[in-house]
Amino acid sequence: MINLRDKGAELWENSGRPARVAIVLASIAAVASLPFMGGTILNTPVASYESVLVNPVAMFVLMAIGLNIVIGKSGLLDLGYVAFFAIGAYTMGLLGTKTDLNTWEILPIGIAMSMFAGLILGVPALKLRGDYLAIITLGFGEIVRIIALNLQVLGRAEGIQNIPTPPPIFGVEYAFDSHRIYFWTLLVFILLAIWMVRRLSARRAGRAWESIRQDEDVAELLGVPTFKYKIWAFVLGASVGGAAGVLYASKTLYIAPDNFTLQISILILACVVFGGMGNIWGVILGAVVLAYLPDRIRFLSEARLLVFGLVLVIMMNLRPDGLLPRKKREKALVTKEKS
Amino acid sequence: MTEPLLSLKNVTMKFGGVTALNDVSFDVKPQEILGLIGPNGAGKTTIFNVITGVYQLTSGAISFEGESLAGKKRYKITRSGVARTFQNIRLWGDMTSLENVMTATDTHKKSGLLSGLFGMPISRREEKRDKARAQELLDFIGIGEYSDRLAKNLPYGVQRRLEIARALGTEPKLLLLDEPAAGFNPAEKVELAETIRRIRYAGYTVLLIEHDMSLVMKVSDRVVVLDFGQKIADDLPKAIQEDPRVIEAYLGVPENAS
Repeated sequence: MINLRDKGAELWENSGRPARVAIVLASIAAVASLPFMGGTILNTPVASYESVLVNPVAMFVLMAIGLNIVIGKSGLLDLGYVAFFAIGAYTMGLLGTKTDLNTWEILPIGIAMSMFAGLILGVPALKLRGDYLAIITLGFGEIVRIIALNLQVLGRAEGIQNIPTPPPIFGVEYAFDSHRIYFWTLLVFILLAIWMVRRLSARRAGRAWESIRQDEDVAELLGVPTFKYKIWAFVLGASVGGAAGVLYASKTLYIAPDNFTLQISILILACVVFGGMGNIWGVILGAVVLAYLPDRIRFLSEARLLVFGLVLVIMMNLRPDGLLPRKKREKALVTKEKS
Repeated sequence: MTEPLLSLKNVTMKFGGVTALNDVSFDVKPQEILGLIGPNGAGKTTIFNVITGVYQLTSGAISFEGESLAGKKRYKITRSGVARTFQNIRLWGDMTSLENVMTATDTHKKSGLLSGLFGMPISRREEKRDKARAQELLDFIGIGEYSDRLAKNLPYGVQRRLEIARALGTEPKLLLLDEPAAGFNPAEKVELAETIRRIRYAGYTVLLIEHDMSLVMKVSDRVVVLDFGQKIADDLPKAIQEDPRVIEAYLGVPENAS
């Protein structure tokens, strides 16, 4: 099978600065023009194409990037990622309906709340490893949903209705059905998240996470403050999930506990694994495919989920490390020739 | 007399009913190469594990530069100046050699995660400096040409040496080497002896576990012998070779001797 990852990396490494800028701008432009492709083969039957692009596609991509920091980079199996998404969404729902704050003012609060939740969960949970950590986080995801289901102020099973749309920004109006605007807004957040992850990966934090993922005991014995970096991974992952939650609530304008089930955690996890754990481009691709596919094949009606499952099973057999796995290339030969 | 760098006093380590170390005391002096030998299961690696904080002592005390190591977090022990290699190679296989060493040099960085994120000058400066330092260490150990190769794809001998380079990356005062020559051929062993001496001349103190007697006797200034968790000898290499208790531990006693 062709190795897309290496082809991409080669192209990137062999280009100079102007070429790189051009590649980045061209890719952003291509992605930003996706909402105009509704008339092509990309169109989804039944569901509105543009709304599918916003939710689930862009939402899944953003959350998968966040979860990838936790699972792909640091190797911490988090099965309750939906909790941070829910906390962001409920922060938006509650403050948006009860106070005069608008989406952009609530956004930092929502992110902070999720990060705080990540810290609260992380401090006790990150003393555990592997399966035990997975079980604790799984429980946390359920706890958050059940609290929302039982607290009067959070609307119990009816949830929160009439959440306001974001106010205009730079003269752009956010109408309930202006999917394109929401898509571009999410794109900005996705780009920010990509920037953050790529920046951190190349520096000290990235190496610390990588060493923890591969052998935590050795990392600690070689002076890596493992607990601190695991908490950071959790908190940063939570911040991205929280941001996604705030935006989700201001898009759907109605949230209920049923939007935040374990199934979301598992689907996002599937995006990360399917795309290629640890490789941000793989994770994005995985999220796009898994979010888009079920709506694209909706004409199959009943057989839809069966086909979806089959695709997953076949792909994981063909590419067990994901669509674009993380493995780095070896550059030894190139370096030798130079010296 | 100089202050010992590392000092073990009446160190006892029990795992349930098994006594792995029984009342072991010895000092490591600054700038020396101390060999630590003994038959299989004598407790040599356990000594490394109690020094680096993997196990908590049952009783006794370990002090490094006069400061007790009891209850200290493992990464803090490393930061105070003790680094080790592993008997069964435990590199981070999916990272390059350079990254393996850089992760260790990060130990002494001042810039944290956020300054890295926002590209603060301090982070960029440290990144550059540490990269140069890591390459320097790889060159020092003699594996500089492998810097861009993934650790898991390296030849066995290079992996062993990368373990040493990585430990040196934490800028230790005391370097603990756990069987660095395991699996080496005679030529490689000669080279390793040379490397260990160079490490000492560069100002590090070395505590060396090794099964290869000729290597230990050649490079060590002093040798401590363990048998069944007890120290049975602590002397110059020449005296150790003639010590009847050491010979007994390794070869046993003839039946008609007692």
